[in-house]
Amino acid sequence: MPLRSVSAAYLAQAADLAGNPGQQAAYDSTGNCVVLAGPGSGKTKTLVLKLARIMAEDVRAPRGAACITYSQECARELTRRLERLGLREASNLFIGTVHGFCLRHLLMPYGRLADLPVPFPLTVATTRQSDQAMKRVGDRLFGVGHPNKTMDLGRHRRSVLDRTSIFWTSEAELAAWAEGYEAELRRTGLIDFDDLVVFGQRLVSEHDWVLPLLQAKFPVLAVDEYQDLGVALHRIVKRVAFDGGVRLFAVGDPDQSIYGFTGADGALLQDLAERDDVERVQLRLNYRSAARIVSASEMALGEARGYRSNDPDRQAVIEFTQCADGLEGQAAHAIEEIIPAALAGKPGRALGDIAILYRDYRAGDVVAEAVAAAGLDFVRVDTAAPYRKVALTSWIEDCAAWCAGGWREARPQLRGLLDRWLGFHRARIPEAEARDEAQRLTQLLWSLRVEEGIARDFVAALRAGMLDALMAGEPSLADQGEQVNRMTAALAVGGALADLDLASLGGRDGSPLHLNLLTLHSAKGCEYDVVIMVGLDLGSLPWRNELPAARRESRRLFYVGLTRARDEIHMLYSGYVDTARGRMRWGRSPFLDELEARMEEAEDE
Amino acid sequence: MTVRISRVKISNFANFSEINLETGENIVIVGENKVGKSNFIRALQLILDPGLSERDRQLGLEHFWDGLGEDKLGETVEIAVELTDFTDDPRLMAHLNDCVVDPGPPMVARLTYRFQPKANLDRDPESLADYEYIIFGGDDPEMSIGPSLRRMLPLDVQVALRDAEKDLASWRNSPLRPLIEELATSLDADARAEIQEQVNEAQAELEGHAEVVATAERISERLIAIAGEQHAVPLTLGLSPTRVDALLRSLRLLIDNGARGIADASLGTANLIFMALKSLELDRLVTDGERDHTFFVVEEPEAHLHPHVQRLVYRYFLGTGADGEEDTPPLTTILTTHSPHIASVTPIRSIVLLRHDAETNATIAVSTATAPFTERDEADLQRYIDVSRGEIFFARGVILVEGDAERFLVPAFADALDIPLDMLGITVCSVSGTNFTPYVKLLGPHGLNIPHVILTDRDPNGASHPRVRRRLISVLQLREEGVSYRRLDADAVIARAEPFGYFVNSNTLEPELFTGGLAEGMQEVIEEELSIGDGTREELQGWVDDPDTLDEDALIALIERVGKGRFAQALARHVDVDTCPDYIRQALEHIRDAVA
Repeated sequence: MPLRSVSAAYLAQAADLAGNPGQQAAYDSTGNCVVLAGPGSGKTKTLVLKLARIMAEDVRAPRGAACITYSQECARELTRRLERLGLREASNLFIGTVHGFCLRHLLMPYGRLADLPVPFPLTVATTRQSDQAMKRVGDRLFGVGHPNKTMDLGRHRRSVLDRTSIFWTSEAELAAWAEGYEAELRRTGLIDFDDLVVFGQRLVSEHDWVLPLLQAKFPVLAVDEYQDLGVALHRIVKRVAFDGGVRLFAVGDPDQSIYGFTGADGALLQDLAERDDVERVQLRLNYRSAARIVSASEMALGEARGYRSNDPDRQAVIEFTQCADGLEGQAAHAIEEIIPAALAGKPGRALGDIAILYRDYRAGDVVAEAVAAAGLDFVRVDTAAPYRKVALTSWIEDCAAWCAGGWREARPQLRGLLDRWLGFHRARIPEAEARDEAQRLTQLLWSLRVEEGIARDFVAALRAGMLDALMAGEPSLADQGEQVNRMTAALAVGGALADLDLASLGGRDGSPLHLNLLTLHSAKGCEYDVVIMVGLDLGSLPWRNELPAARRESRRLFYVGLTRARDEIHMLYSGYVDTARGRMRWGRSPFLDELEARMEEAEDE
Repeated sequence: MTVRISRVKISNFANFSEINLETGENIVIVGENKVGKSNFIRALQLILDPGLSERDRQLGLEHFWDGLGEDKLGETVEIAVELTDFTDDPRLMAHLNDCVVDPGPPMVARLTYRFQPKANLDRDPESLADYEYIIFGGDDPEMSIGPSLRRMLPLDVQVALRDAEKDLASWRNSPLRPLIEELATSLDADARAEIQEQVNEAQAELEGHAEVVATAERISERLIAIAGEQHAVPLTLGLSPTRVDALLRSLRLLIDNGARGIADASLGTANLIFMALKSLELDRLVTDGERDHTFFVVEEPEAHLHPHVQRLVYRYFLGTGADGEEDTPPLTTILTTHSPHIASVTPIRSIVLLRHDAETNATIAVSTATAPFTERDEADLQRYIDVSRGEIFFARGVILVEGDAERFLVPAFADALDIPLDMLGITVCSVSGTNFTPYVKLLGPHGLNIPHVILTDRDPNGASHPRVRRRLISVLQLREEGVSYRRLDADAVIARAEPFGYFVNSNTLEPELFTGGLAEGMQEVIEEELSIGDGTREELQGWVDDPDTLDEDALIALIERVGKGRFAQALARHVDVDTCPDYIRQALEHIRDAVA
């Protein structure tokens, strides 16, 4: 008998699905399946169990499954949960971003054969390299200080895939800029992240022979957070699933589509779900939020979705609070009133169960300053964070967690840390070398275990021991290396995280003792007992004079914020916003007006 | 259709300086001793054999091509195998995903082993300690190939069939073991209980038999006499062990209706049984999912097998046996042999010929995989090769002749001319007619590239061109390109053909011999072999007296009554240097020089 290669731990957990027909249907699906999953509906659990089942029952190495996630962080969360089911990332299980998938499983193996007009070996530009190239070309084309935004450049490149179409040329300046920028990159032998997906899409669209190869390797393709992925991935998915015979398992929620500015479009998921050859499953039961929060969220969205709370009797707090002194006043109110009351309101509740959500990093600065001044420990996730979460920084954090005591209970598992390390090499390395590296890394980590350590020393030792050599030898890690440098800078004396201890570095996502500070975008996928949303004024959420599409997206962003809460939602506003042109008294967010009115109406009935 | 090796490239390894060889469905490697047949297999093992250790893959200087002499350090040894026909099986496609070098169709994947100075060495290598090996897929040396691919698509080498008996005898290595284990797991509880009961009954009956009991008692008594009651343990005689699993494990293969064990079998029988068990094992490994395909190598399988059995066994493994088999087994057979019996049952396109090239002092490899055969050509050649026991593959030079007459007479003339065909490795091959084309395709530069000459008759055809013109043009077209023969008459074509070694007489063989000095010898043979009337006898005498009066048709009619082959055989003893026709002498000298 061949050795069982996949753990059967999923079977025990899968028994739980029986009470939820949607989850069970998704778990039992045998063909293409789209799961439309409302907030808190157990989407990730369903996905993880389905993946475990597929790996155990439907595929056998070397054939396997690929799971594409929106971000590195989502991939990490999935990996962690699969690990608990005894399932590790392996050569026949890919879990990662669409960029990683296109690079490793499309462009690297097939790019040369397809004669793609990109320089080989593939070298991905670092954020800095691509920012500089964009600026150089932009300044040359339109003069220094031109009004075109790099964000629009990215959206244009991602959303218009056919360069000969009218949609491409209709935005003439963006088109010229994109073409100049790409030429500049190629001149220096580089491609950027958007290129990976654009060329990945071209590869599967233009070359029929790629399809059977891909189907052979990955007969199953899962996609998480489908609504946040753009049209290029959508084309890849349609092509491999409906022309290539790859079985699709897509999960998402169009209502939570909040990345339209990057070219994402929630309608793409609807498009898939409505096909005849796709089984459509709707998850309606909300395990997260109290009933009042579930219904308030639907009112805020303005659409009837028929979601129900799993716990209809749970008490909820939904507060609209006006604070003087703008954001500073709102932060102060949160710190002085809401947080102490929330901590006292339920036994065992800690700072980690509370989150303050805001629209952008400028608001984050204000909140962070106030929180720090009040002496609260916090974790901040937004673009102004000391470093961006990438695979390498996440790996360092997990190593920290292991060394700070996680090794005792194998959380995280050492094997997983070693495998991820080996995965940082751009290509497969010889077995002997891999063994040797794994051994050295084990020794290094073992020697770095301490009970009460300083994060700075740990990262320095890890870098000197092995990490710097890896980054020097792997040009593909250049971009992530920048984030490691920023991490080191933040940990340095005088840096933002100067005194961080090792355990806190390890727990930089979801430590029970740190207050969470996040942008609304970063909060997606998270859940907290208590959600405090600040800056709910017109001119902030929504911006003033937004076009209808942008207004709809702002509304969804508001909806995402509301649906993060289990027990309490606090919506803070001041009735004005401070802008470059001074204080603007445009009133509070119209979303609040609508929501309050609808809630009153509902209670009157 | 299942995955096959479509090309093998070797550079700087063992006997090989540089070979680049296209191969057919299976591979039968034919060559003289020491030419490098085993090294060819070794090269494939470096890439595909999961049993090789890392140390085995780290080469020594003795593995570098001998011709490099003192300059081995700094050179790179490289072996590449290309695979194709794997697109019907998604599992194979998944294995070979990162190895594709040509999307096709047919899609081609490549695996490369390279033994090279270490990549990060910034100086010339000083010893083999500065060397490393890599195995990678496709064109990108970064795409390292791990052991899992080798495990699932292994090259399984049977080196010493001579040990079959030993392997069968030891339980651990026995190919019988998995079959018995499978049998053990397939027995349900009822069957086990039944067997156990029967065994217990038999056991009880045996133990209770008066003579058995008496013998046991005799032993017990003596034991007590020696050691006293206290130290003597109670004894009975019985069979051990009696548990079902243990019993099953003690099952052995028996021959001659259970009369004898395998150890008493002839070596040949043991080998045959071993091959059958091995074949079952290969099937099982695939069914159980432990493998997806096997590249099954047998080195010199002829050892200890009767020629007739050799042909049967390898017909089976090379898939040329029974037609219309269900599924093609996931198996590629690779053989090395110098047995003509095996060569003779080899599909014509599977032949790989290794031969020493004196000029480069290296072994070169040629194959028939891409020779421009038509289906009829293949059938013709296959038939010939089967009948002639594949001797053409072992030849260093070939003389192609029309029929049996030449087949018997040409060696006789060669002896007379002091050209020892056997010693030179030259074989005479009768094409049974005048269709030389398939043979020239087989032996020519697009095939096995073996030096060859043709002897053929002019065959005048009344007012038209002699038939030989058309015949020679057909083969010349295989040897030279872009020549228009339209304006050339027969003599001009013959003149073009001679440098290639294609020689023509002025008429037909027998009349030419008759007028060339063998008249009396031929007369003698005819008179010995036929009872002819006086009239014929006189006519024959008349031709001998004055060869100008020879009636060619009548002579040939007489010879055909004897049978051309039989006639030639008898005539052979009469030939000598002086009676050798010019075109035969030219051909013999040509081939002698070509193989020198």
